[in-house]
Amino acid sequence: MNTGISIDNQTILEKSPQDEVNLFNFEPVYLQPAEVVFRYEQENLTLMLSDGKYFPRVTLRRCFPFTNNEVFITVKTPDTEKERGKEIGIITNLEMLDFSSRESVLHELKLHYFVPVIQKIEKIHEEYGFMFWKVETDRGQKEFIMRDNIVSSTRQIGTKRWLLIDINQARYEVNEDLLEDSHSRKLLVRYLLL
Amino acid sequence: MDQNEFQGIDLGHKEIEIPPEIRRVIVQEGGEDENVKIALPTDVSSDGVFGAQWLIVDPNHLRVITSNNGSSRQKIILPLNSIEDAQIEQCVGNGLLHVTVEGKPRVLLHFSNELTERFALAATYLRLHKENDRVPDFNSDGKRCVSCGRRLLDPSMKVCPNCIKRDQVLRRLFILAKPYWGQGVVQLCLMLAGLGVDLLPPYLTRTLIDQVLISNDHRNWLIWLVLGLLGLQIIRVILTINTNLLTNRISTSFTTDVRAKMFAHLKSLSMDFFDRNETGRLLTRINQDTEELQGLINQMAHFGLYIMLIIGIGIVLFSMDPLLGLCVLIPAPFVLVAAYFYQKYMQPNWRRFWFARWRLNSMLNTFLAGIQVVKAFAQEGQEEERYQNRNNTVLASRLRVDQAWAKFFPLISFAFGAGGLIIWYAGGNAVLDGRISLGTLMAFLSYLGMFYGPLSQLAQLSQAWNRFTTIAQRTFEFLDETPKVQFSKNPIIRKKVEGRIEFDHVFFGYDPYFPILKDVSFTIEPGELIGVVGSSGAGKTTLVNLISRFYDVNRGAVRIDDVDVRDLPIEDLRKNIGVVLQTPFLFRGTLAQNIAYANPEASREEIIRAAKAASAHDFIINLPEGYDTIVGEGGAGLSGGERQRISIARAILLDPKILILDEATSSVDTETERQIQKALEVLVKGRTTIAVAHRLSTLYNANRIIALERGRIVEMGSPEELMQQKGVFYKLVQMQSQFARLDGVISV
Repeated sequence: MNTGISIDNQTILEKSPQDEVNLFNFEPVYLQPAEVVFRYEQENLTLMLSDGKYFPRVTLRRCFPFTNNEVFITVKTPDTEKERGKEIGIITNLEMLDFSSRESVLHELKLHYFVPVIQKIEKIHEEYGFMFWKVETDRGQKEFIMRDNIVSSTRQIGTKRWLLIDINQARYEVNEDLLEDSHSRKLLVRYLLL
Repeated sequence: MDQNEFQGIDLGHKEIEIPPEIRRVIVQEGGEDENVKIALPTDVSSDGVFGAQWLIVDPNHLRVITSNNGSSRQKIILPLNSIEDAQIEQCVGNGLLHVTVEGKPRVLLHFSNELTERFALAATYLRLHKENDRVPDFNSDGKRCVSCGRRLLDPSMKVCPNCIKRDQVLRRLFILAKPYWGQGVVQLCLMLAGLGVDLLPPYLTRTLIDQVLISNDHRNWLIWLVLGLLGLQIIRVILTINTNLLTNRISTSFTTDVRAKMFAHLKSLSMDFFDRNETGRLLTRINQDTEELQGLINQMAHFGLYIMLIIGIGIVLFSMDPLLGLCVLIPAPFVLVAAYFYQKYMQPNWRRFWFARWRLNSMLNTFLAGIQVVKAFAQEGQEEERYQNRNNTVLASRLRVDQAWAKFFPLISFAFGAGGLIIWYAGGNAVLDGRISLGTLMAFLSYLGMFYGPLSQLAQLSQAWNRFTTIAQRTFEFLDETPKVQFSKNPIIRKKVEGRIEFDHVFFGYDPYFPILKDVSFTIEPGELIGVVGSSGAGKTTLVNLISRFYDVNRGAVRIDDVDVRDLPIEDLRKNIGVVLQTPFLFRGTLAQNIAYANPEASREEIIRAAKAASAHDFIINLPEGYDTIVGEGGAGLSGGERQRISIARAILLDPKILILDEATSSVDTETERQIQKALEVLVKGRTTIAVAHRLSTLYNANRIIALERGRIVEMGSPEELMQQKGVFYKLVQMQSQFARLDGVISV
């Protein structure tokens, strides 16, 4: 009961003074496919609701980034210097959006979640407590440096899927089964201590 | 590191140069390629793959130029004057730069995390260029090696491993070890004596074979030779025991010294150091590093011994028979290669096994810690399955170690054994030719056994050596760390302050690029009670931390009695400020010691008076051990409210003129809060008090309230005034009275 206060402070603060204080509205808002239109205007993802409300820029968050990419996408206004962004609503499934809205949303997600999937490991070099990786990913070639502490720099996100976090907190996904050659698999098994 | 193999990693030591292609586009679009203020490449293209885009800022325009398969085009152009705001935004694995033009947001480009600091600098420039046209130094991002200028992978160091001046580190270590020089010399003598004793037995066996067994001339020598061998073995045992004892004594007391030095230094460092370095990493530093240093000193001593042994045996072998001596060297490369492969082949297997075992143990730990949850949700089955899985992984990894060893061991024995066979053949010929005696051959073979062992150990020398110097360097760097909050050179002495606090246009951020407090100004008169409210992350705690000078402001000043806190001696300053934190911290010791923490000399009367004022006395005397009750680390055995009242008593005993209550009542239940509230009312009398509070009931008698939002003061005034304004404070009160009604507490 008491601990809830601090969390709810914010919800209340973020509402404009005209809004009525309602502490018990916990129901999520789901956006129906028919009532949203997403378009890119230059580099901004914009949203037009069927009631005429227009957002010159929205950002997206996946509720379940690892388990399913196209369901439960939260749409929110961006954070500004004055206040944090507010959730506009949740889209349950992207498949139901019209074609160009879906394309726009997928593009924005691709930009927001910059998590290249490793397809090929060319080389891993270990030195002074760091691992130097040279890989090919679905977003191009990349070299990155990771701390050699497996516990803090990798997370298992599926039966054969791992997330690698490098020294800059950049993330890479690797799936043992999706690696293209046995050399890559061998390196992975060896260095991730699988 | 092989530089050619990893060229794609930007270690930031290269100058940023605009490629001709990009220059061409700038000129083509009517810009000047000469007067470019900012030219920053990003590594993310506009379609979200690795690729190039450039942010170009000249005196009049901002451009984004994108390159795709060698062709570049200008994607965005904005007049610089139209940019009202520029910010970077953190995404996942990357970030983006956006500007505000005519009140509308506009995204410019994405960049990967390693470029965050550079683009943060660029955003700062875009925001402030009208007032400050100084172009930031983009190569100043991150911590750099002070020697070669490359970005540091391990930000807790000052130089990169490549640049460690190993001889200097060693010299310093040597000087640090001065008290142990005498013991070191003794150690060296013991080692040399041991070496002599090791080399003698084969000589004796040679005599035994040649003069006694074969010729049968000196049968009476037999007993003396055997006794001699026995004597040597006894001496060897004594020497080994003493060498080991001495090595351990030297390395242990040396590292204890280092640890003591590190702790002494640690406590003098200012808060920013502890923010930059997590507790875990610091613990590693102080415990693991010194422990490893100790292990490495021992290891280095052993390496010394091995080298002496190899040289000694080498000399003996060559002096006995140079040709046969050469034969000994033939298998040496194989032994080294075998040792190298051992590391490469076996090491990962061992690591995998340790890792699997660690995961099993940590799972067990979590399970035991959360046993109540497991039982409450009836999930024993799931947990068992998890445990079984991990247990099976341990089994599998152990099997792999054993299998690898089973395959590897015969190979390495072969490498060692084959060396012996060469000697048997070449030496056998020499004996048959009468060039050497049989005894010499046998001596050779015994020396051989002693030769390859140390040789294979030396394969690990370079790795251990690197590790040793790196850790020593890290230790020295830690000892060289200077506190950021510096003592004033000409301090203004104010033993007792009155308690006037003034914030004068204060800007502060833990990272100066991301200010937490922006242009905060207010004055608090002595004796006033000020409440600070705002959502979490608004900067409330940061604000009070500046008063105690845990950090120094970036701009502006914090003054106490019109003196800048930077001019006051830190110790005097903090003696005048009492702090009660949200989570009270108690040290291991008696309650009396905890109350008297700030003044261990305090009399019993003072302690009881403070406890009474803090409404702690009643519960303390009901404890079977009263004031002598020993509390565990962190206050184990007391409830949250009891701990808080002890920490209030601690502040009362200090009798400060300024009191800071940082959410002192937010983690306790309402009944306890009332008791704490009572204690606080006594405490705030006659003091300047700043209370950070979520629970507004703490503030009902405040003289003024300061409401913060995102680092700025949005409201300031008496509670009545703010209630009439119907702003932030009003909202908070509204909300909490709803809660209060639920809770049965009288609202504010």
